[in-house]
Amino acid sequence: MNTYRTVAGYLPGLARDDVQWQTLAFESAAGRVEVEAPVLTEQQITALARRVRQASRLHLRTMTVSQIIEVVDRAMARLLDPDDPYRQQADRLLPIITGYDTEMVRLGLTAFFKTFRAPQVQRFVAEDFSNPKLLDEFQPRPKGGAAMAFGPDLLFHSWAGNVPALPLWSLVCGLLVKAGNIGKLPSAEPLFAGLFARLLAEVHPPLADCLAVVWWKGGDAQQSAAVYAEADAVLAYGGNASLEEIRRQLPVTTRFLPYGHKLGFGVIGMAALDTLRGPATARLAAIDVMRYDQQGCYSPHVFYVQRGGRMSPREFAQSLAGELANLQHRFARGSLTLEDAAAVANWRQAIELQSLSAAGGVELMGGDGAAWGVAYADQPRSLAPTALNRSIQVVGFDNLDQVIAQVQAHRPFLQTAGLAVAPAELFRLSQLLGAAGVTRISAIGSMTSPEAGWHHDGRFNLLELVRMVEIEQSAELAADRLAPYAD
Amino acid sequence: MNTPEQHQDIVAAVLAFIAQDGCSDDGFDALALRLFAYQYANDEPFRRFSQRRGMTPRNVKRWSELPAVPIDAFKELSLRCQPPSAADRVFMTSGTTRSEVKGRHHHPTLAIYDSSMTRNFGRRFMQGSSKLPMAILFPTETVMPNSSLAHYLALAVSQFGTAQSRYFVGPQGLDSAGLCEMLAQAEHSGAPCAVLGATYSFVHLMDELRQRGTCFRLPPGSRVLDTGGYKGQSRALPLDAFYAQLSATLGINRSECINMYGMTELSTQFYDGGNAMVPSVKSGPHWIRSRIVDPLGGCDVPAGERGILVHCDLANFNSVTTILTEDVGVAVDGGFLLLGRAEGAQAKGCSLAVEEFIRVATA
Repeated sequence: MNTYRTVAGYLPGLARDDVQWQTLAFESAAGRVEVEAPVLTEQQITALARRVRQASRLHLRTMTVSQIIEVVDRAMARLLDPDDPYRQQADRLLPIITGYDTEMVRLGLTAFFKTFRAPQVQRFVAEDFSNPKLLDEFQPRPKGGAAMAFGPDLLFHSWAGNVPALPLWSLVCGLLVKAGNIGKLPSAEPLFAGLFARLLAEVHPPLADCLAVVWWKGGDAQQSAAVYAEADAVLAYGGNASLEEIRRQLPVTTRFLPYGHKLGFGVIGMAALDTLRGPATARLAAIDVMRYDQQGCYSPHVFYVQRGGRMSPREFAQSLAGELANLQHRFARGSLTLEDAAAVANWRQAIELQSLSAAGGVELMGGDGAAWGVAYADQPRSLAPTALNRSIQVVGFDNLDQVIAQVQAHRPFLQTAGLAVAPAELFRLSQLLGAAGVTRISAIGSMTSPEAGWHHDGRFNLLELVRMVEIEQSAELAADRLAPYAD
Repeated sequence: MNTPEQHQDIVAAVLAFIAQDGCSDDGFDALALRLFAYQYANDEPFRRFSQRRGMTPRNVKRWSELPAVPIDAFKELSLRCQPPSAADRVFMTSGTTRSEVKGRHHHPTLAIYDSSMTRNFGRRFMQGSSKLPMAILFPTETVMPNSSLAHYLALAVSQFGTAQSRYFVGPQGLDSAGLCEMLAQAEHSGAPCAVLGATYSFVHLMDELRQRGTCFRLPPGSRVLDTGGYKGQSRALPLDAFYAQLSATLGINRSECINMYGMTELSTQFYDGGNAMVPSVKSGPHWIRSRIVDPLGGCDVPAGERGILVHCDLANFNSVTTILTEDVGVAVDGGFLLLGRAEGAQAKGCSLAVEEFIRVATA
């Protein structure tokens, strides 16, 4: 078995010998990776935070947004080049670290990096700033006066997740608002953020000190307290319990942007269930289930399927099961830890027991050995998470309002809904889903690839990070009166 | 259909088996298969469960091939061979996990449970002593008629406790003053005693004694039995700290601090030989056997690897002999190490995991 060694994090100004290291080991069929993760002291974290803040004032604040986009674009060109050593390292190590299928990771990364090329990032900025120059200099406002957007001096990112390369979203947001960035790696995927930081410093050396990527063990309070004392804004991904923990520790004046775990679902209307479109829809649904083995916030847990089409909901479930079996050949499910396997087994057993109990009405498709499972329920049932790792619930329904009733009870967990319905229904249903708490509506098959510039959890990625500084008209007029050329 | 004679025959066979000094592999298989045939014939949900897996009395040849029923089945299905009767003893799970639905284990007679408990307890806990004064840190059987642990402890007292034995958990919680009195008396008299109860009650006891600044040096031959873990009823101490503190507080060697591993869904318990080293090796008597499996395929894991415990308890004559637990274990010489529950998978990604959803839903 191949063993690879690599170093996590990105610590400008700190020599390797200044820092203690802890090895995180990952193993899969493709090999073994030993990642050395830095264990910093509070003093080192404080010093790093101040260094990053200082450097960003000098080197990032002074760049225009267009220049920043150009630098990100050059970094993406490197990452999209299959011969580039950074990309090769990502392709080689991320599948081992995350346990996902190698080809799934490769295709996923390419699709993801494409959304950070210059035109896409420009669109991303335009979503929040109709005039991006607001980030560079004071711009006249229609009401009079002028305004300019200032990002935080120091933005701290607490990343979660083993969806590879996920930290890219928030890091690019931080760069675009010209913040100094310091991020904490998730233990489940400690590679990508550091790799990207090194690449960025190589592409544009003045940025070398404008970001840092650190790590500490979950629950190490001193290290987190040190960084919370320095940060102007904190952006965190994680479960509600860990988000709550962060919020508790933050000074009330620190801006906190939490992104919690979510529960995606799809709605498939009659129109998509004729003999031609039905199997095609099932194929797309299976792709959404397969991508990153449902670990994304946008991943589906339940598909609600309307009765009355040529393909019945049960037939749809069977077709979905068949597609998942096919996908297993091309993109095998990642290897499961004992805990993950036990969770999947519990989910399967619960359905099996329900099918044997008096109430019945449920059915489990996919045998014990299958690396996927489809549960079919004939009766409406409340939205609930599955055990992930390609376990999906299909529920039959008669009218769309039933679906709304099932999902609206879980507003805090809603985000993406995949829809396959006719145009007239798309807008009517979207309005109802939006009112219920959904923030993103996509096609089935696109649930796991949000478009560039999407509003994550319905929020403004960039606007929420900035502070608007306004010169009111009165100040302009008063200045006029003080001009040397005043009459 | 299950006749009273059939029922009596099965009960007699199991009792006789428990009374043996041990058994051969063939002897274990023979009774396991007889019970399988009996349960397959008389327990309809279990029959359907087995059929779904293609397992019938015709093709199962060894105990290790028996279908392992997930413990949640005790919640969802009615697992019993005898029709329900008012005379049944029904033990229920404590319901601290998952849903509010409680698992139910029906015992039309307690003769087998009691025989299994006393024979095993006498050997593994009493270790030759005939009787000891017992301090029980758990409510009585009258207060908790559906608790298998309350019945277990009542049996311990009635069969192995002296007249001085007493319960120290009442509606007001732990009666630490009364308990201290009993322990002080034992210390003074030099006659050994036993303290038995739920693990969390020992944490409460240790906290209380620390507050009072008291500790004991119980006479040689004294011992402790804890069971069940913390169940969210006390702070959770790491195993090593728990036994270190317990040993220091009561003045009993860690090798005399015995942990019992039992479940409402079983009729037989596992014990260790003290907790000088943790995790300790657990083992059961000749009428129970365990496998360690991959939860998804149900196959045995390679030796030395972690897996989920499956127990085949021949004293489970009325429900199902073979259950799939949610406990993680690893096989070692002489038994297995219990490594805790397979907690719901920790969310690594950004997708919602069941555990968090349930926490919010039940908050």
